[in-house]
Amino acid sequence: MLTRPPSWQRLSELARNPLQAFALSRNNVELWANLLIITFAVVFMLWKGATFAVTLGTVFAIWAMLSVSLNLVVGFTGLLSIGHIGFFGVGAYTVAILTSTTAYENLRTGAIPTFGWPFFAALPVAAIAAGLVALLVGIAFNRFRDDIYVLVSFGFAIISFNVFLNLRGITRGAFGIHDVARPQIGSWVFDTELELMLMAMALMVIVVGISWFIVSSSFGRVLTAIREDEQVAEVFGYHASHYKLAVWVISAMMAGVAGGMFSSWTTFIDPNSFILLESVLLVSIVILGGLATIWGSLLGALAFVLLEEGMRFLPFLPQEYVGQARQVVLGILLVLLMVFRPQGLVGRYKL
Amino acid sequence: MSKLLYRITVTAMLFGLVGLFAIACQQPEDEVFRIGVMESLTGPGETYGTVINQSKEMAVAEINAAGGIDGKQLELIVEDSKCGAQDAITAYNKLTDVDGVKIILGTSCSGAMLGAAPLAEEDGVVLFSASATSPDIEDAGDYIFRTAINDAQLGVDAGNAMWADGVRTLATINESTDYAEGVQKTSTEQFVKLGGTVVAEEKYSSDVTDFRTQLTKLFAENPDAVLLAAQSEFTGGTIVKQARELGFNGTFYSEVVPTGTTALEIAGDSATGLKAIIPSPDLETQKGKEFLDNFRTRYGYVTLPWFIGSAYDTVHIAAQCLEQTGDDQDADGFRDCLYNITWSGTIGDGYTFDAKGEVVGLSNAVVEVLPLTERTEENNGYKVLGPAPIQ
Repeated sequence: MLTRPPSWQRLSELARNPLQAFALSRNNVELWANLLIITFAVVFMLWKGATFAVTLGTVFAIWAMLSVSLNLVVGFTGLLSIGHIGFFGVGAYTVAILTSTTAYENLRTGAIPTFGWPFFAALPVAAIAAGLVALLVGIAFNRFRDDIYVLVSFGFAIISFNVFLNLRGITRGAFGIHDVARPQIGSWVFDTELELMLMAMALMVIVVGISWFIVSSSFGRVLTAIREDEQVAEVFGYHASHYKLAVWVISAMMAGVAGGMFSSWTTFIDPNSFILLESVLLVSIVILGGLATIWGSLLGALAFVLLEEGMRFLPFLPQEYVGQARQVVLGILLVLLMVFRPQGLVGRYKL
Repeated sequence: MSKLLYRITVTAMLFGLVGLFAIACQQPEDEVFRIGVMESLTGPGETYGTVINQSKEMAVAEINAAGGIDGKQLELIVEDSKCGAQDAITAYNKLTDVDGVKIILGTSCSGAMLGAAPLAEEDGVVLFSASATSPDIEDAGDYIFRTAINDAQLGVDAGNAMWADGVRTLATINESTDYAEGVQKTSTEQFVKLGGTVVAEEKYSSDVTDFRTQLTKLFAENPDAVLLAAQSEFTGGTIVKQARELGFNGTFYSEVVPTGTTALEIAGDSATGLKAIIPSPDLETQKGKEFLDNFRTRYGYVTLPWFIGSAYDTVHIAAQCLEQTGDDQDADGFRDCLYNITWSGTIGDGYTFDAKGEVVGLSNAVVEVLPLTERTEENNGYKVLGPAPIQ
């Protein structure tokens, strides 16, 4: 099972002798099944409905960034947080406010300050804003652990939603913000679905790369130690609270980047995109994929997007019920997966 | 054991994907007109999205039973856009890309509409909503139409109505959603412009169930009347009920939601005398009455009559335009048809669409909720006092 990515050395070894790679993985049913599913999915998408497939690619990249970053906190460090959507929202709103150029005075629904920044200038600010918010709440959250941590992060999700909803002078409250700028390099505007997907994928690769670096570094090993036993880590001279705060802020910054990409992709955001339910979905993606594995989070996000959007094609149902049926089937599938594979698709740990 | 189950799950997923292939590869028949529908079938807008969808299904069934459009059947492809931008975008791309439709009836919510509108505008796909009321949609684009009346108009009418009734001091309470907040904002702006004073404002989020504290704060300012703008019937009804329990005797003014069937059931006799500014003439046309009877026969209930009537009309307008263009891929022809059409349907006679795709010729009326004993299924629980006054 590919529970962790192979090293470069191993990869080059295998490249010199492809037959050996085949022999190694011949009995690995899961690997082949996963590859087959992904191939099927990609071929299916490209055959019928390329734009739809590309859209799903963007959705996948955004969810993947969120789940990989959340896995750093939940899986590797053992802090179960369901407030991650708040950082996603901070990133989304930062990019939206900084880049939107609509003259809201003409819309009779309340004006907000507009700046008209380009996307690439706003995106780092979004990451920093999410990081700063995370630093502030993280200092307070560090006093808590285990079950209490879940509750305070729950509180954070509720608070952030209400801030987005009620800070009318900045977020425009329930009316939402339009005309969020698309990424632009010179005169090249990323305004097709394909360009946006590539952009989202590029950001995802960066996020995954950083996460990979973190978990394979000594910093990552300390995080694992904290997850396994915080006291022991302290005894060995690591300030657990510093490490926890650091990974919390890094993870929030990644969520901020995902949020920035999200608002640029939809070009319209309102507080409804950042409700607690999305956070819970996100935690289920992380658990679905497997705790403490980056591959798992990617696979979890892919499985989630394919399941949820694949349900649009559910046959044999009157059209009236397709919408509801999607939710029901998705829920049942998630429950079944949790029952039969509590460690997730490729994970090693249970929650 | 778990390995075996994992394999079973994976196999099931594979079969699912093969199934998707089979379905997606079916060639669409040429003998039908196919148009898309996006409604919030789940999520916060479910209560109205579902009935609006039912209304559209009914209209299609009627059209097809009567021989279709030029002998071709009309087919709706329904997608769930929930109430937000992300799902509206995926639903939109699924409809336009996988199903290849060029005309989409929807969405239920303004948020979803604003998410899909930039794409529709760029691709030249018509979005035609029966219920999205946000003022922001006005400028969303050339291909964006709606039969729903802009909230801004509703606010002006509400402000005028309150002023004409002699209200001089007003307290407001509204749900924190784009619709309710828009109504509150535009109504108070008009009311203040006429010379009135807003003495207190309260806002609540959609999951609140106890409003006594907020209401007590409003009543402490002794307002002549209270303006209530709700997004969900549950909160609308509960607020009216709790206000009367607290001993408030003044008049309630509201938009359409607190006059919905569920809201009136919750409020009971407390709602008596509540004045609402709602789209008119509230299915008073012959077509409207017939439609409501048919809807009740088919589904066994009627709720939000104006909005389901509006949805019903959008399908019939679409059928008319498809007959004119003769091609469901001709979005430009369909758009031009909408610009030129004059329609008499369930929600009004002789209405048209202006250059911004906004409906012209429909207006709001003031209604008053009847005492519990006089409410019947036919009068929906209220009587029409007349058109909204103009100042």
